[in-house]
Amino acid sequence: MQGLLPYVVRRLAWAPVILLAVSFITFAIIRLGPGDPVSVAQGQYRDPEVLERIRHTKGLDKPFLEQYGIYLKNVLHGDLGESFRYPTMTVPEIIFRKMWVSAQIGIVALAVIFGVGIPIGIYAAVKQGTWADPFSISVFLFFQSIPVLVTVPVMLLVFVLKLHWLPTGGWACPVDLGFLPEPVNCIGVFDKRIIMPVLALSLPGVAGVARLTRATTLSVLGEEYVRTARAKGLREFTVMSRHVARNALLPLVTVIGLSLAALLEGAFFTETLLGIPGIGRLAFESVGERDYDVIMAMTMVLATAFIVANIVIDIVYTFIDPRIRYERQRAG
Amino acid sequence: MIRLLQATRGIVLSLLVVFGSTGIFIFNQGCSSDGNGEPIEQNGESADGGSTSADGTLRVPGGDPVTLDPALAGDAISATYVVELFGGLVTIDKDLNVVGDIAESWEISPDGRVYTFHLRDNVVFHYSNRLVTAEDFKYSMERAADPQTASIVAEAYLGDIVGARDMIRGRADEISGIKVVDDFTLEITIDEPKPYFLAKLTYPTAFVVDKDQIESNPRNWLRKPHGTGPYKLKEWRLGESILLEANDRYHLGAPSVKTVEFLLSGGSILTMYQNNELDVAGVSINDIERVQDPNDPLSDEYVSADELSISYLGFNTQKPPFDDANVRRAFGMAIDREKIAEVLLMDMLPVAHSIMPPGLPGYNPDARGPTYDPEQARQLLAESKYGGPGGLPKVTITEIGGGATAGSDTQAMIEMWKDNLGVEVEIEQTEEATFWQDLDKGQYQMFTAGWIMDYPDPEDILDILFYSKSRQNNTRYSNAEVDALLLQARTEQDVAARMALYQQAEQIILDEAPWIPLYYGRDHVVVKPYVKNYLLPPMVIPKLRYVTLEQ
Repeated sequence: MQGLLPYVVRRLAWAPVILLAVSFITFAIIRLGPGDPVSVAQGQYRDPEVLERIRHTKGLDKPFLEQYGIYLKNVLHGDLGESFRYPTMTVPEIIFRKMWVSAQIGIVALAVIFGVGIPIGIYAAVKQGTWADPFSISVFLFFQSIPVLVTVPVMLLVFVLKLHWLPTGGWACPVDLGFLPEPVNCIGVFDKRIIMPVLALSLPGVAGVARLTRATTLSVLGEEYVRTARAKGLREFTVMSRHVARNALLPLVTVIGLSLAALLEGAFFTETLLGIPGIGRLAFESVGERDYDVIMAMTMVLATAFIVANIVIDIVYTFIDPRIRYERQRAG
Repeated sequence: MIRLLQATRGIVLSLLVVFGSTGIFIFNQGCSSDGNGEPIEQNGESADGGSTSADGTLRVPGGDPVTLDPALAGDAISATYVVELFGGLVTIDKDLNVVGDIAESWEISPDGRVYTFHLRDNVVFHYSNRLVTAEDFKYSMERAADPQTASIVAEAYLGDIVGARDMIRGRADEISGIKVVDDFTLEITIDEPKPYFLAKLTYPTAFVVDKDQIESNPRNWLRKPHGTGPYKLKEWRLGESILLEANDRYHLGAPSVKTVEFLLSGGSILTMYQNNELDVAGVSINDIERVQDPNDPLSDEYVSADELSISYLGFNTQKPPFDDANVRRAFGMAIDREKIAEVLLMDMLPVAHSIMPPGLPGYNPDARGPTYDPEQARQLLAESKYGGPGGLPKVTITEIGGGATAGSDTQAMIEMWKDNLGVEVEIEQTEEATFWQDLDKGQYQMFTAGWIMDYPDPEDILDILFYSKSRQNNTRYSNAEVDALLLQARTEQDVAARMALYQQAEQIILDEAPWIPLYYGRDHVVVKPYVKNYLLPPMVIPKLRYVTLEQ
């Protein structure tokens, strides 16, 4: 574990630089692109003079770099700006509530992807050469190839209109942990409404994890230390769990990061089709409405989340694989 | 003030078809059930623990409002809530008449410029129960006009009041034309005797708000606003739901339905309706066929009603080749709107022949613009200064859209121009924000757009869109005769004479074709049989107080 702390410190020191770059690029794209929140809000009655006056009041007529400077200054003072779409609410009020909803669905979906994908992959590897190997994986490959735009309506038809098992969509939080602050007091994972979005988000991802697990398990099964373990007379279960699984799962840790991005992508469609007030829909709508500060805040929070997730994954690596050391001199 | 694409998010779906942005359809996409006539049982278990209509709650789909602040509300979705929560001097009743709200009566001076309103002496604000006085109205309208409020709509709705423009521009601290005579008498002076002024006061910008509440809680007063409308705001959960509670002290009669829940989450509205999670649902073009099918149980619950809105094909009359009226007429005569409406729009929208939609005072059923006639279209194009299809510059049509595919109706028009005129028209799609901005700059040759009426007066469409000096004149149309008629109509006090002036102007505009009217708006919804008197007014009015629920 030597060298880990300086490594983490180095990575953390880079984080503000990355965030600054992300913020500048995002700011530039949305400000320099066509349209602005004032003209969107105006709709069918548009009076250029009124628009100019309101732009002036909101400081949107200042030079781009000056606006960016003001934005940075405000952020450093803890002010994430104001929403044009919801003029009476603060930006954190708007985004954290929605992020919490998406996060709950995302976490459960991630758990399902790995919870189902890993056992399927190991099973397929162990059954290599039999019909069970291709069969188990291809069931999930089938789900991977169906777009959410199809799975959701099919689920609605089956679970809602035919079987009456589930409500059509929306979001509810039957568990209210009053001692936690808003919005994280509201726990929705025990409500039936989470079933469809989780299925829609997780089913396409299972095959990928299963195939990766199968491949890495197969390569590990051929390693000499596995043969040694078996030769020592260890029980098959111990061999699989201690020697095979641990080494086979290492590459999967990297996939978690990538899966997060995929979940965010899928969230837009799922949240739209199922009427879930989450971050995917908010992102889509905010871009359409040019809700500058909300777009900025979401981008920054997500960028921070990715940076932190990557650092955490790197740290976790060192625990799973003792061969990995983060030292200054060694490349990689 | 209505944001057209916004409107499509709610149950107002009709114009969506015209914009044809396929991306939007997924918002309302239900699954296509087999429609085998299987009755749908009430399933209390699935419907979120008890919010079924049995407990007297009306559950309707709704859009997420931009704001509930009457001074700022400028879009149809926000207005839907604001008109239920707040009130003004006057309001619009279910027959579209301007009637008293908090004003019990009013007089108009002989010169038509001074309005004296006599307020009811028993109207109180929600929650605080404070009596509403003339002073509150002065405060509220001045607050809307205050540059700090940054209301986009203040000038359009209050600009006729003497001194309002000065305050909006920061040149005055009050609106000199609003005078408090006593607690229950308010006097408003306007710049010219405009008969449509009263109708403008039915719009949220002129509604009354509680000064005490706003000043003591400027940031969060909208969480539980002190309005005066038929309903009080109980809860607004961003993107989830809005809960309204009946105002039992409402001065025009307490509402029968005690709680109304708007579900803002979107999703598969029709499926929710079928699963008894909603009492009302909009029908999109994907579902219209089965909903109208007499064998489908939904057909018994289906209703449609006209809206005061219209979609149109607009030409920039200053840009070649549409600077020649013959070219505009030729393009109009080359498209078969009846066929597009029948085949592509599934007859969801009626073909428009006039600019003023049916239901609007002044609507003229005999008005006619260029109608389908390919023969004459070719002839007109040949007679134009461009001499025929070969002499035209490159022609592009612009519409709002995601860019993936053009609206099917636009594609059809392009095919028809090619077949009937021999003109290749290119299509350009841009998303909403850019579209309006570039339209204002006069950058498009030809475009499709829509207009939704904000108050039932011809001025709201003809004067605003075709008067040569109007800022919203995005066809850059200019005709001295039309201008003279519109100016005269503005202050004509005799209703019949006024409408005749508008009809005259309308026919000239139709003949000169800066616009080819395409389709009138129409609402298509399904309503549960136990919901009675759920009105489908052609524009946003306070309508929930008329609804009753039968057990």
